Amino acid sequence: MASTPPLPVKDALDPSGQGTLLDPYPSSSWRHSYFAPISPFFNAYDRFALWRADLGLPHPGTVESLQKETKSTHLSNFIFDGARADLTKSLSMSPLFQVTHSFALGSQTAPPSYNFGAIFGSTKVFLQGGVDHDGNVSGRFNYGWTASTVTKLQAQLSSQVGHNMIQLEHDYQGQDFSINAKTMNPSPTDATGIYVGSYLQSITKNIALGIESIYQRPTPESSEFSSAYLAKITGTDKNWIATAQTQGLGILQATYWHKLSEKVEAAADLQVIALPQRREAIATIGAKYDLRLATFRAQLDSTGKVSALLEQRFTPTFAFLIAGEIDHFKNAAKVGVGVMIESSTLTPEEMGMPPQP
Amino acid sequence: MPSEETKERIVKVVEIGRTVLHYGWIPLIIYVGFTRSNPQPSLIKLISPLA
Repeated sequence: MASTPPLPVKDALDPSGQGTLLDPYPSSSWRHSYFAPISPFFNAYDRFALWRADLGLPHPGTVESLQKETKSTHLSNFIFDGARADLTKSLSMSPLFQVTHSFALGSQTAPPSYNFGAIFGSTKVFLQGGVDHDGNVSGRFNYGWTASTVTKLQAQLSSQVGHNMIQLEHDYQGQDFSINAKTMNPSPTDATGIYVGSYLQSITKNIALGIESIYQRPTPESSEFSSAYLAKITGTDKNWIATAQTQGLGILQATYWHKLSEKVEAAADLQVIALPQRREAIATIGAKYDLRLATFRAQLDSTGKVSALLEQRFTPTFAFLIAGEIDHFKNAAKVGVGVMIESSTLTPEEMGMPPQP
Repeated sequence: MPSEETKERIVKVVEIGRTVLHYGWIPLIIYVGFTRSNPQPSLIKLISPLA
């Protein structure tokens, strides 16, 4: 899709803002002199762009963050077991620079680990890196060309063969649509890899529809093309969001998120797999409470798991986490405790806080 | 299609780039953060988890 032409045209033309009755085509000299033979196309495009801007459709969000609200309400992404400690140190606020030391041990599923992470962020560039005790490096690099155009690079590098991953991604946020193109492990020699393109467009003020196409080419001889369809319905005052997503044939994921009050959010998620070899469905419901110094998440799913996570902040720099999960069908349980300590080498004035009286 | 020789060369370059990224990524972030930070922190505070 072509990028939108400079839109202030509309305001320059029609400062009274009385609509599009005036001729929307400005007598800009460059077009008349050089592009006269094809000016009808520009004319049509300008009219189309104006008409589209007049619809006032909201930005639909990105395909990647379609289920963001549900995921941040549910605790599946936050739960842990065993013990862990995160020591975060902020060394600068603007530009942002912080380092994190994370320790984890006693988990039933993962061996004890140490991870060092560093984050640097300025208005245009975002750099993030992590290295664990085995020497596996993960990295992220984002570069914002403009406020709406971002290129992202993600990599996982390991000394083991076959554990490397690199992902190149480009994001464009339009006025009422968003486009994303990404490729995973592209090979410049034989064009193998995974290529994904997605597009999400607002149809009305509440509804957005989208498509995500995936082209996989694991070897030069074989390739596979599949498409996913997405839909998102947002409440008029944005306090509820429902999404649905199909993945290939036979997989459907639907979510519903509702902000019940300033401090309480609830979310439900349904995943249906109806493939010939496998038929199952998982439903999850959860709630999140944001209290003044604590965050509490609780969740129940149809596989018999009940889980909860409490994040209690005793002081602004010290937080205590406790997580628990009981699997009633398998008769198993997991418990996790953690601490998060944030320290800073900066004085309160340097962090941008008002000076104490 | 590129010739076999070119392919081999590309694979070699990619491999070198990967190795450089693997060992250089974290030092790069620390260097960029350390030099651009305002105010500039001391090196011991940067590395030690306790200081």
